[in-house]
Amino acid sequence: MAMFGTVVTLLLTLLVAWGLTRRSTPFVATYQYINLSVGFNGPTNFQTFAIELVLHVDHLTVAALAVIEICMIAAIGWNQVMGRAEPGAARFHAVITALLFACSGILVSWDLAELFGFWAIAGAMTYLLLAHRWGVDEAATRARVALALPFLTDLCLLCGIAWLYARYGTQNLNTLLPILHTNPGWTVRSLVVASILLFIGVGGRLALWPLTSWITQTAVTAPPAASAIAQSAWSVVAIVVLYRLMPILAASNQQTIRAFISATLVAAIAAPLLGLIGNEPRRAIALAGSGAVAIAATVVLNGLQVTYSTFAVAGVAAALAIAPARAAAVLAAASIASAMRTDNLAEMGDAWRRMRATSGALVGSAVVMGLAAAGALAFGVPTRSYLGFALGDAVLLIAIGGLRIFLTASFGPLRRRRAFEPDRVRETPGALGWPYWLVAAGAALLIASGITGWLNFLDGQKHPSPSAGAILLWVVVPIVGFGACTLAYVFNKEGALAASATGGLWIGRIISAALGVIDRFLIGPTTGIAARFGDWIPAGDGAIGRFTTTSGRIALAASRAPAVPLVIVLAVVLALVFALVAPGVAR
Amino acid sequence: MTLLTITMQTPSPSPVGVPGAGIFSSPVLLSLLIWVPVIVAVAIASMPNPRGRYDVLMKQIAFFTNLGLVFVLFIAYNQFENFLPTMQYEEKLPWLPAIGVTYHLGVDGPGLVMLILSGLIGVASVLASLGVRERVRTYFCLLLLAQASVNGAIVARDMFVLILFWGAAAIPLALLILGWGGGPAVRRAAAAWRLLGYWGLGTGVLAVGVLALYAVTGGRSFDMDTLLKAGLSPRIQIAVSLVMIVAAAMRLPLFPFHGWLRDVLAEAPPGVVVVVAGAASRLGAFLLLRTVIAAEPAAGHLLSPVLAALAALTVGYAGLAALRTADIRHAGAYLAMVPGGITVLGLAAISPLGIAGSVLSLFTGGLAAALVAGVCATLSERAQSRSLAVLSGLAPRMPNLGWLLMIAALALLGVPILASFAAEVMTFFGAFKNQPIGAFAVAAGLAVSAIALAVLLRRVLFGAPNPDAPGVSDASLGETWYLGLLAGGLLWVGLFPGGPKIPGTEIPLFDPGLINQMAAGLSDMASPYAAPAPGPSQ
Repeated sequence: MAMFGTVVTLLLTLLVAWGLTRRSTPFVATYQYINLSVGFNGPTNFQTFAIELVLHVDHLTVAALAVIEICMIAAIGWNQVMGRAEPGAARFHAVITALLFACSGILVSWDLAELFGFWAIAGAMTYLLLAHRWGVDEAATRARVALALPFLTDLCLLCGIAWLYARYGTQNLNTLLPILHTNPGWTVRSLVVASILLFIGVGGRLALWPLTSWITQTAVTAPPAASAIAQSAWSVVAIVVLYRLMPILAASNQQTIRAFISATLVAAIAAPLLGLIGNEPRRAIALAGSGAVAIAATVVLNGLQVTYSTFAVAGVAAALAIAPARAAAVLAAASIASAMRTDNLAEMGDAWRRMRATSGALVGSAVVMGLAAAGALAFGVPTRSYLGFALGDAVLLIAIGGLRIFLTASFGPLRRRRAFEPDRVRETPGALGWPYWLVAAGAALLIASGITGWLNFLDGQKHPSPSAGAILLWVVVPIVGFGACTLAYVFNKEGALAASATGGLWIGRIISAALGVIDRFLIGPTTGIAARFGDWIPAGDGAIGRFTTTSGRIALAASRAPAVPLVIVLAVVLALVFALVAPGVAR
Repeated sequence: MTLLTITMQTPSPSPVGVPGAGIFSSPVLLSLLIWVPVIVAVAIASMPNPRGRYDVLMKQIAFFTNLGLVFVLFIAYNQFENFLPTMQYEEKLPWLPAIGVTYHLGVDGPGLVMLILSGLIGVASVLASLGVRERVRTYFCLLLLAQASVNGAIVARDMFVLILFWGAAAIPLALLILGWGGGPAVRRAAAAWRLLGYWGLGTGVLAVGVLALYAVTGGRSFDMDTLLKAGLSPRIQIAVSLVMIVAAAMRLPLFPFHGWLRDVLAEAPPGVVVVVAGAASRLGAFLLLRTVIAAEPAAGHLLSPVLAALAALTVGYAGLAALRTADIRHAGAYLAMVPGGITVLGLAAISPLGIAGSVLSLFTGGLAAALVAGVCATLSERAQSRSLAVLSGLAPRMPNLGWLLMIAALALLGVPILASFAAEVMTFFGAFKNQPIGAFAVAAGLAVSAIALAVLLRRVLFGAPNPDAPGVSDASLGETWYLGLLAGGLLWVGLFPGGPKIPGTEIPLFDPGLINQMAAGLSDMASPYAAPAPGPSQ
């Protein structure tokens, strides 16, 4: 049913895309969700609060939706063969369907509150997907971060939207964007704050480093299809939302934009670099994909600085190409890991001979991810700038990281281990085609991302073509990366794996130590104080109760005491007290 | 003896085109909501019940009484005129004219929201109590009395009457905890005394505030129209408001007056948990809305940072404490504090949207708090353990309760489709203008609560089952119904906040929409806080 629903949705998306080719304006429909009159005085913007379900379907929407649906169809198809042993099949497919619904809602939303509504639903469904294995302890533990970390960034998104509403009295992009600089009382500071909050919100779901742990922690423990869907769908959804929020970010100041570019640049380099450390293939794929998406985000943001929309949409096109490749890589790596009964690259090998099709899909996805940003970068990032140099490094690292997994898993001996017989490693028929289809889709979108006509289609504007030299130059960079990786692993595979294993061990120790410090000096004392408060208050209540009981007993005893002596004693005590405290006694 | 005449307001003309218009019109509608449960309680108490022979009949009587009241409420809700800023369904009867006390009842938009909440909670509490086997007659008698006092506190328009109903709720609830609570007698007694102590002290503080208002307004009347529209000086407003804040904080509760909540929600039977968390505690925020925000705008402006700080402390403390506890019922109790903090943030926002958000949050927060506390209570009973070290991997074996706990978690976090999303969006959107720091702090506290919920879900529902744990069983039909009713209420208002409409038209189907009905009187409350037109941009 989930497959049927997703296929039907894809067909409907294609139908809508065909309809869009026959008109020059997007499809727009508006439905009232909340319309509340909250005041009769004050600025008109704030007298009514409305959340409208504004469904705005343009070329970019249908392209993004089609990519997500293709990724989901492939993941569902793969899971039907490879995921037979997964528990709760009905629940799994129901959650995927709900996630597709939510992603569709985000992509068609033109009201920020509506967008956040669907965003939060998608976040909840993503958590349920990644925490799908209910009976497994480790899965449950690692899935905590998939709820908590994105929720934090989602809150930032909500705060950013709320901040904008508090200043402008509207969250509908149609009415908000024209008044960003004209609404009475607007300030640059308020736009900067809103931009930062919105950027953090979107960056969390883009899984920009250091906000990657919600996909890396669950890369092994979540069902592979779930991990593939989460990584691919969110990279598309979040990049489109970033693109749509661009006018708000652009309305802040240049320093803020440059800070965002620096952040995405660091993410683009750090994520694949960390992916080179450690021998978990699915974690490495997640980090390489995160780096690739960070490059796309950098291109989108750089478009704000250079020429408004040309390069921005090129970044979106790159992200559309990366998504299916990412999903293909996850599924292929999961197939190999499942067949070889290990998640350690050092224990993998010979997949090219034993599982050629899957191994081919892996190298295809690595190539697509490595080349995906080439077209976007060719559209106008100068190679002789710091930005060009840094992005070139990032592309190099992604290419190395992506190919490393293929080379390690595909070549070299596959050793016998306890309860593992290498001769039993073989392809699973029925699951072969899906990663290939994804790679094919990614390759098609990769080629399209370098074609001006595709960019023109996506945003409905005219764009200049890049020079052939620029395209060639940016294509050479990942090829150099592929070559460097091949050389390293051909000449000394064991040494390279040992080095990355050692690096991974040290990174793990540093992270554990850091978490231990945070737990010891921050979380532990804070929760301890809260717990102690929880004990002090009842203890205080008890003390008050004992005090009242004691005073009651004293009163009762006093009532039984003989009156005259009691009065004399009281009079003496009161006289002493007054004598001591009254002014003039000390003289 | 003076002949008492009931001063009747002409029943409001039914709006045209509303389904059910004209079916029901009564000048004593609100009195029905208060005194019918009392009469039924007295009738139940008077019924002979040799050896529990009529236990089932008493449960049915209590259930159908609450169901009947909900039916009456539903019609009143449909006939309510949301364009009128004045009180509706008013009843006024002179009671103690010498000191200016009248039996004055009335309801506006926010009051209607609270009544709907109380009605749903009443039905849910009876369903949650179907498992009671001992002294059934006494139990349901006390439960009905508690519900009656909550309804009375909602609709009272005379402060003296309000104090009476406010304080009256504590006694039956304390007796219910003492007699039918789950833990050892020592813990039940501690919880009951703590409830009596805090609520009694809160009633005393409320009485001080009311008497102060009474004195400064000339000592002629306790009517809210007199006391709360007196136009007092800012200094007096602040003094009275501070007292009211303390009284409200003891009921809601807010940090640091929350000492009763953990023990009460941990030791009370599920039916009482639902009443306390869902309706009785919401009266605290309702009091703040009526007596501080609506009545004392100068004090509202000055004390809004205090309210925001209390809200932030409450939400943050609730999350931290829930993270640290090893008892599932304690965790549910702490998490039940979160909606109260959100409601108070909306009031602290002192903006029309924030106030509207807090009114909606009264309803959604009540349901969410009752749901989370109720599901934790039921789960611990069904799993025969409260220890989080023992409870593990319950989701496959208790699927109904597992899903309900997840819905409760999503409701607390304000996930869309559930009504708490709309309330939290309105609250945060309204709060960011005037209380950005408070809003950020509450958002941070909400993030901590999310972490606590993630830990709770992972520990209790997911992971490998504990082989040393006692045997578990899923929720019974009654338990599923009461929790489902709470979840269903959140879902319904979340999907149709403006009410379902006949397709293609603006005609409401059978629900005019809680968002629409709660607007009555809201604009008047919020008008002192409407922002002035901003100056030229920088």
